[in-house]
Amino acid sequence: MAVITISRHFGSGGELVARLVAEKMGYLLINKAKIADNMRSIGILEPEMAYFDEKNIKFQEGALDREMERRRRRYLDGLHEFFYDLAIRENLVILGRGGQLLFRDFPPALHVKIFAPLQSRLERVCRLYNLNEAAAARLISEQDRDREAYLRQVFGCDWLDPGLYHLIINTGITGPEEAAVLIVTAARLKESAGEIPAKDLEERLLQQEAPVEITGLTTGVVHDAGGTTPDFAHPSEAEFACMLDFYRIKWLYEPITFPLEWDSEGTVTEAFTPDFYLPEHNLYLELTTQKQKLVWKKNKKIRRLREIYPDVQVKIIYGRDFRGLLKKYGIEEKGE
Amino acid sequence: MKQEADHHLEVLLTRDQIQARVTQLAEEITRDYSGAGELVLVAVLRGSVYFAVDLSRRLNLPFILDFIGISSYAGASPSRGIVRITKDLESNIVHKNVLLLEDIVDTGLTLNYLIQNLKTRNPSSLRVCAFLDMPARRIVNIPVDYYGFSLPDLYVVGYGLDYHERYRNLEVVAALKDPK
Repeated sequence: MAVITISRHFGSGGELVARLVAEKMGYLLINKAKIADNMRSIGILEPEMAYFDEKNIKFQEGALDREMERRRRRYLDGLHEFFYDLAIRENLVILGRGGQLLFRDFPPALHVKIFAPLQSRLERVCRLYNLNEAAAARLISEQDRDREAYLRQVFGCDWLDPGLYHLIINTGITGPEEAAVLIVTAARLKESAGEIPAKDLEERLLQQEAPVEITGLTTGVVHDAGGTTPDFAHPSEAEFACMLDFYRIKWLYEPITFPLEWDSEGTVTEAFTPDFYLPEHNLYLELTTQKQKLVWKKNKKIRRLREIYPDVQVKIIYGRDFRGLLKKYGIEEKGE
Repeated sequence: MKQEADHHLEVLLTRDQIQARVTQLAEEITRDYSGAGELVLVAVLRGSVYFAVDLSRRLNLPFILDFIGISSYAGASPSRGIVRITKDLESNIVHKNVLLLEDIVDTGLTLNYLIQNLKTRNPSSLRVCAFLDMPARRIVNIPVDYYGFSLPDLYVVGYGLDYHERYRNLEVVAALKDPK
């Protein structure tokens, strides 16, 4: 489905523009209220959401404590999966929250930045919130700092990077209605220029595995806990098996397939086979080299697996985690 | 923050924050191990040395300080092989309380091996004290009994942690941006 992401400077009217675009296109607007509804459904309530939503989380006494980090991760995972899952079924307008990065490689996505000169934002914020100019300036500065820091902390990106956007609109000279029309026109042009059948889209995205090309890969022979040498689907799996061998952790490669969905006749229609099982830890591991933005189907399967088999411990090692391991061990990775 | 070559360092933990937290940890450990029998502090070479020195100086109970070193996957040949002990304990830890001191626990792979290895020597107890815990990177679940700070998934240096042997001697902990 199509996605329009709208990143906005505080006070530039981005929320209003997003609402107008959603109305004109007939898309679902994902704003704070919609996100709060979803977060409630996964047990994250309003005060916690308000704490993490587009916020600059500062280190307390030099570090996030363990619980805070766990909660923030849970919040972000829940938020990002919500976006990805919904994008499979609905056309969306996503306001803020790093949508331009989450859907960076999503071909039908249109990424828009809304900004306005400070004076115009001050006037708007004073009017909307009934504030004097000094208070409005402080609020603008705080909100922009939070949003800038959120993108830097969560995605490691600069939200002012023009390379992240198809369109950058100055509402100081266009006004919200004209901005919305510009976005709608761009979205329709984009749609007609490169239509991708919705049913093919998910598969196309999933096929975009980021090839992890590694130099200095292992030349060793690895054996699983049963003494067999598996036929690994990807060189990264062989390297990972070597790491486990090195640290004397017993493993089995794809020892079991978990059925996840069945049709009315009881035939398995969806299943999941984790890459590794560590018998001493009773833990399944799934290693993926897919780009972070493209792993929602795996996340979805793992969520389903946890629902059906609550006693099964499973962890996913994402591409960025695996590349981090390679970097830590000085194994070079070429390109993406 | 001082920069070397093209690295940018962003301070996450100041010297004062580190020292205050290490003092707290030492008080906690002193309380937990007082009257509990012989304690052996096992510091894992080389990263935990700075932490071990500062922590042990603040303990108010008798202990033996010992060191253990293991080979790293980073330095392994392309055929990898298996982990080796490069420096073994000089103390006998049978029926003693062992507190393993680590600079950082991230994947848990190294720690898992060390715990399995030390357990075979029959200590009466074995606990883990890590200066830094990075739970987001964990692969195998290993209990960390004491930790100084829990950090998100960042590449950090200083206070014993290095990047290609650099930055170990910093008195702060800093995030290393864009390590090449």
